[in-house]
Amino acid sequence: MLEINDLTVCYDKAMILNGISLRVDEGELVSLVGPNGAGKSTTMRAVSGLVQWEKAQHRGNEGDITIKGTIEFMGHPIHRKPAHKIAEMGLILCPERRRPFKEMTVFENLRAGAYMIKDKKEAEHNLQNVYKLFPILQERSHQLSGTLSGGEQQMLAIGRSLMCNPKLLCIDEPSTGLSPIMRAEVFRKIMEIKAMGITVLLVEQEVSMVFKMTQRNYVLSSGKIIAEGSGEELLKDEVLRKTYLGM
Amino acid sequence: MIFDIVITSLIKGSTYAMLAIGFSLIFGVARIVNIAHTAFYMVAAYCIFYTTTQLGFNPILAIFVAVILVSLLGLITFKLLIAPIREHEAAVLIATIALAIALQEVMMILFTGDYRSVPPLVPGFATIMGVKVFYQQLLTFVSVLVVLGLMYLFLQYTRLGLAIRATAQDREVANLMGMNESQVAMLAMGISVGLAGVTGAVLAPLSIVEPHMWNHPLAMMLAVVVLGGLGSIKGSLYAAFILGTAEALVVFMIPAGAYLKGAVALSIMVFVLLVRPAGLFGVQFEEER
Repeated sequence: MLEINDLTVCYDKAMILNGISLRVDEGELVSLVGPNGAGKSTTMRAVSGLVQWEKAQHRGNEGDITIKGTIEFMGHPIHRKPAHKIAEMGLILCPERRRPFKEMTVFENLRAGAYMIKDKKEAEHNLQNVYKLFPILQERSHQLSGTLSGGEQQMLAIGRSLMCNPKLLCIDEPSTGLSPIMRAEVFRKIMEIKAMGITVLLVEQEVSMVFKMTQRNYVLSSGKIIAEGSGEELLKDEVLRKTYLGM
Repeated sequence: MIFDIVITSLIKGSTYAMLAIGFSLIFGVARIVNIAHTAFYMVAAYCIFYTTTQLGFNPILAIFVAVILVSLLGLITFKLLIAPIREHEAAVLIATIALAIALQEVMMILFTGDYRSVPPLVPGFATIMGVKVFYQQLLTFVSVLVVLGLMYLFLQYTRLGLAIRATAQDREVANLMGMNESQVAMLAMGISVGLAGVTGAVLAPLSIVEPHMWNHPLAMMLAVVVLGGLGSIKGSLYAAFILGTAEALVVFMIPAGAYLKGAVALSIMVFVLLVRPAGLFGVQFEEER
C-alpha cells in the first residue's frame, strides 16, 4: 500500500533521512521506532507531503530542503504531490504534538477533519463512528479543544484524522506526554482502528507496548533503517535492544 | 458634546474594524502583510464617486459595482503580484507599499488631486439629544454591523469559512485535512479586499475622496491590529472601537485635536509594542516545526 524507496531528505546541509526504504501492506499495523532525532517525524512529514510543502514555503530562502527517492501510495507516486492531494488519496497523518485547532471546539475540529467529505450524511455517519470510538469527545463536543487534557487532545487528533475515511492512517508519537494508563488506552484505540480495516503506520518511542501490537517494525536511527522484524526478533538482539530501544 | 463623541467613535470604530478585520484575515490565513489594504478602500471610494456622479448610477448599484471591481482587483493582485513572492515576507511588504503608491498615482492621473465628494445615499439628518446625526452616518454604522455579522456567520457556518479558520490556526494541519492552502489564501484575499471595498463604498459619502485618503486609515488600521493582536479577528474588533473612541476624544477634547489624530494611533502603537507586544488577544501561531 505504501512503499518508500531510498528516501533521502536534507535540511540545508544536515541529512535527516539517509536513503530509507520501507513498506506497509494493506491491513497491517506497522511501527517505526527509534530514538529521538532519528528522523521518524521527518519520514512522516515526507510521506504526507509536508516536507515538500515546507520546501515550497522556503523557496529561495536560506536552508534549502532537498528530497530524493520515491514514495508510492496504492501504486501512485506521491513524492511530488502537494499535501492536500495526498490527503485526498486517503493517506492521512495525525501529526506529532496532536495539534488540535485550539481556538475551535471539539465538534468544529471534527468537522474540519471531514472537510473532504462533501456528502453531509456520510460526514454525520463518520462523526457518530468517531463518537462511538471516543465517547469522551461527544461529552466534550462544545468545549474549546485547547482546554482538553493531553489524552483527550490525542483522542481528538486521532478522531479528526478518522473523519475523512482514511485508507492509511499515520500516527506520529501518540503516547508522548501521557500517563501510563492513558497510553494503554490510546494504544487500545489504535488496535480498534486496525480492527476496522484501516491500515496504520505508527511512529513511537514507547517500544514495549508497541511491539505487543505489531507484526512488523522498523528501527530508525540517525536517518537509516537499521533493523526490521517482529518485536520478538528485534528484542532478541541484545545490542539493538540496549542501544536503540532503551530496554 | 458627549453624544458627539459617542457618534464619532462608533462610526470611526466600525470603519476601522472593517478595515482591520480584512487585514487580519489575510495575515492570519496567509501571513501576508498587505500594506495596500487601505489603498483598495480608496479605489472603492473613487469607484463610487465615478459611477454615481459621472455615470449617474443608482447608489446601491454603485456599491455593488465598486465592491466587485475592487475584489477582482484584489484577486488579480494576489495572483500576479503576491503569489510569486509569497515566501519572502519583506518582498511582499515592499511590493504592497509600491502597489499602494501606484494606485494613488493612477487615481491622481485619472481624477487629479482635487477633493471630491459623493452625495449621501440617504440625505437628511435627525436631531438626537441636540446633536445632528446624518442618516448616512447611521446607514454606515448599520451596514458595517450587518457586514460584520455576515462575516461572522460565513466564518462560523460555511465549509470555506471553516477552512479559513483552520488555515489561520495551523496551516500545516489544514493541509493534512485536505485543504488547499494556496486556494484558501487566494479566496481569503478576495474577501479581505472585498471588505476594504465595502468600507470605502459606505464611507465615501462621509469623507473627502482624494488620492491620499488611504494614509490615515492605514496608520489607524495598523495601530488597531497591533493593539488587538496580529491575526486575531476578535482583537481587531475590540481594538477598533477602543482606537475609534481615543481618536474621537482627542479630536473633540483637545483644541486643534484634529491635527493630532495621526499621533494618537502612532503613540498607542508604540505603547502597546513596549508594554504588551502580543496585543490584547495575541494569537500564538503553532510554529511550523
